[in-house]
Amino acid sequence: MSEFTVLLVDDEEDFRRTLAKRLEKRNLQVLSAAGGEEAMALIRRSAVDVVALDVRMPGMDGIDVLRAIKAHDPLIEVVMLTGHASVEAAVEGMDFGAFDYLMKPVGIDELLYKLQDAYEARRIGLKRNSRGPTPSE
Amino acid sequence: MRRIREYLHRRLTRSRPAVPEAAADELRVAFKERYHHFKLLLSANKRALERMAAIEGALRGGEAFGMAFVRSTCTEVATAVWRMIQSMAVLAPGKYPELPTRFKAINAQIKAHLESSFRPLAEAALVVSLGTIDRNWRDQAGGKMAGLGEVHKKTGLTVPDGFVITTAAYSRFLNHSGLQDEINRLIQTADREDTAGLLELSARLQQAVLKAPVPRDIESAVALAWRTLESRHGTAMRIALRSSSLFEDDIASAFAGQFQTELNVSRDHLMDAYRTVVASKYSLHALTYRLNRGIRDEDLAVAVGAMVMVDAVAGGVAYTISPVAADDDRVHIDATWGLPKAIVDGTAAYDSFIVARAPQLHVADQAIGHKTSRLVCYLEEGVCRRDATGDQADLPCLSPDQVLEVARMALEIEAYYGCPQDIEWAIAADGKLNLLQSRPLPVPEGAGDATVTPDIPEGTEVLLEGGVTASPGAVGGTVYPAAKRADALRFPADAILVVRQAAPYWATLIGRAAGVVAEQGGVAGHLANVAREFGVPALFSCPDAMARLAAGDEVTLDADRRRVYAGRLPGLIAQRPPRKVNPLANSPVFKLLQALDRLIVPLHLLDPEASEFHPQNCRTLHDITRFLHEKSVQEMFSFGQAHHFPERSSKQLFYKVPMQWWVLNLDDGFVAEVDGKYVHLDNIASEPMIAFWSGFTAIPWAGPPAIDHRGLASVLFQSTANTALTVGRRSRYAEKNYFMISRHYCNLNSRLGYHFAMLEALVSDRTRENYVTFQFKGGAADIERRLKRVHFIGDLLETYAFRVTIQEDHLTARIANEDRGIMVERLKILGYLALHTRQIDMIMKNKARVEALRAKMRADIDGVLLNATQP
Repeated sequence: MSEFTVLLVDDEEDFRRTLAKRLEKRNLQVLSAAGGEEAMALIRRSAVDVVALDVRMPGMDGIDVLRAIKAHDPLIEVVMLTGHASVEAAVEGMDFGAFDYLMKPVGIDELLYKLQDAYEARRIGLKRNSRGPTPSE
Repeated sequence: MRRIREYLHRRLTRSRPAVPEAAADELRVAFKERYHHFKLLLSANKRALERMAAIEGALRGGEAFGMAFVRSTCTEVATAVWRMIQSMAVLAPGKYPELPTRFKAINAQIKAHLESSFRPLAEAALVVSLGTIDRNWRDQAGGKMAGLGEVHKKTGLTVPDGFVITTAAYSRFLNHSGLQDEINRLIQTADREDTAGLLELSARLQQAVLKAPVPRDIESAVALAWRTLESRHGTAMRIALRSSSLFEDDIASAFAGQFQTELNVSRDHLMDAYRTVVASKYSLHALTYRLNRGIRDEDLAVAVGAMVMVDAVAGGVAYTISPVAADDDRVHIDATWGLPKAIVDGTAAYDSFIVARAPQLHVADQAIGHKTSRLVCYLEEGVCRRDATGDQADLPCLSPDQVLEVARMALEIEAYYGCPQDIEWAIAADGKLNLLQSRPLPVPEGAGDATVTPDIPEGTEVLLEGGVTASPGAVGGTVYPAAKRADALRFPADAILVVRQAAPYWATLIGRAAGVVAEQGGVAGHLANVAREFGVPALFSCPDAMARLAAGDEVTLDADRRRVYAGRLPGLIAQRPPRKVNPLANSPVFKLLQALDRLIVPLHLLDPEASEFHPQNCRTLHDITRFLHEKSVQEMFSFGQAHHFPERSSKQLFYKVPMQWWVLNLDDGFVAEVDGKYVHLDNIASEPMIAFWSGFTAIPWAGPPAIDHRGLASVLFQSTANTALTVGRRSRYAEKNYFMISRHYCNLNSRLGYHFAMLEALVSDRTRENYVTFQFKGGAADIERRLKRVHFIGDLLETYAFRVTIQEDHLTARIANEDRGIMVERLKILGYLALHTRQIDMIMKNKARVEALRAKMRADIDGVLLNATQP
């Protein structure tokens, strides 16, 4: 699996920093944002493949961020993370196009696999849109 | 790039029917996308099954679990199932419209169960006077305070004046500024693998409560109540704050003082003390207790009782019957100088009085302790320990009249409630006896006769003798002395805990301890209470226990006869086994998970061939996963076959000669694209298929008839069924033996007549996603031989760490989460068994031959197979 860019969106700084470090060790490009507005600004500015998004944050709610991301680029995949287990929120998130919904605490491998699978979904989506293999292949 | 396109073009145009290149590109993407969704579906399927197994494991017992587990696990299963439904919608758009409906119906029930927790009355008063309440106020004032109010009203016994900050106030406090939300988040996200993790969680939760603001309306209601109390007791008044929660005084789960009690509190620190008492709901001790007893956090509303402080001359605990021995109805009183807290904490020497009820109330026995210190109130605030003066240490702290007065008070409450009681009391400076709290006392079960001479081998060394039985029973175990609190972090399960003081914080370990020995403390302490509740034998007040019992010693603790022996004495333990307690059974959390289990785990859709195998018949989430898995495999197969796209049509396997096995490449299962009819083995890139095949071909089959090349079904099963009958009823999928493969995936599905075999494997470097599932059913022999063969194979697979379940003659074997090396070996074993269990049903009635066969197979597998290099 080639390198790709992940954006971590979470209001907990500790969580963001540790996760970023661990994902970078696994050769991912990692950006991070403390909230929805900051995340959207980053997405508009730089190329992001996959977003790991906390469901509940002060300010812009996770679901709103998800909808904003999907409105901006439906092929950016979003993995939702939550400290508040709720089936309803999970179903709602996935119905709005979230790639998956993971419960915190999440194992680093489990998250990494999920991000890789999400990136694969994005590549397939890009390919489908361009109706042929991407130049990188 | 151009060269590749030309190459593809050449190959495509050579095949029939020709596919235009643009269309071929599109098809390739379509295949890739489908395979991707298939993989996601499989991965979600695995996740759902594993979380279901976790639910079943939790209900079988062993580890304690709490609401965070219940909520996350159910959410994970449901999320995974929804993920599968979404993937299926890509594989077969609009084909199963009933599935989301079924899912949502089941999910609504799950949600209803999860949300049916206790809600305190929102409109109720925030503070009430102790004088107004009785047992009808339980929901608002908590069990302890409602009980005190009731006793005071109905019996006229002296209870300190005071007020209660209600459960409604508690609820306001927690919902104010999102505190409850933050608490829930901390609990779910905590890593609680061990005691250290729990300790950190406990600290964070208590911090969250301690720094949370108390709403203004609660503060002013409390201030008003304080002023009212002050007008009756003067400005020097101090109070004691005690928790009074719902649940607390239930006979099934005596919370027994695990909350913080704040003594001698002044007006200035009232709200801090309130927060401290509420925060102690999350002390390590309280957290573990609730976890072990299956009590939901949200069900536990904490009211806090504020009572005028009694600066006690002497105080203690009284039990109206013996808490440890059946048939002993004498009143047991433990008492000391100063505040009674020292008795509850099990940290000081004390006097023990036993009061017989007949012929008239009299002191039948007493033991006067050497009481070197006492707990007293500071003038301003708080409490401190004072050394005994003069000969006070060895004097009884109660006169004989006072002993009888305490006993009478206890018995009056027992008579009022009609059941044995456990009371805490204090004698004030003016000599007046005050009741501080009262709760029902569980009646000890009658068992074991201490007069029968135990079966103890001669020469068995007695390491320790004496003390008091704090909790009955005999048990064997390894000694673990804990000198300081940090030692609790390394406490090994099923050891015998040996401590100096029988202090409440050791209660954290009771759920995991086999027994407890303490140098101090008595039957009335909190630790003793918890030990009895959990059925853990405990012997307290054994001076020198720490010196006489060394770490790692194997010992037998006989709490009934107050002895500790060297070594394990099975005879003794069998004679007086500790009362087995599953503290979780029948608890609210346990019952909730049972109810959820019924909506999630049972499987009703068993036979994919049956007409009942339909989305409408999915009654549980497991049914939905089973249905989706089956259909997704079929969808993958039929899509490949329906498109006349040579790259993705099935190829016949060529191994020395053309075999009766077909291979469908789902994605990257071939080394190079295959043009034409056959795929050669060396062009297979699928790791699991190669592993299976190498096991299949590693050791030639010895018995007649010699191996033919008629395919797996005929190798696995000698069919007597007329296969012609099945033609037309089934798709082509069912007639031949197909491998569906990608680099890391292999699905082998074989149905013939009444037989059925399925192998599915996902093997890659993602260890956590690896699995092999093998199922088979049927055979040509009679049912008895068939069953014997299924069990024979099941046993063999179990020795190689497969998890095997057998229902009738249907065997399922599964192994998961092992690294790829181990998975490859397991696939080789399955390949070997596929060949070598052929026809063995014929010998299944001959025990000697079965054993010989088992030995040969074990030797083949352990010797040649697992050491062999790949063919």
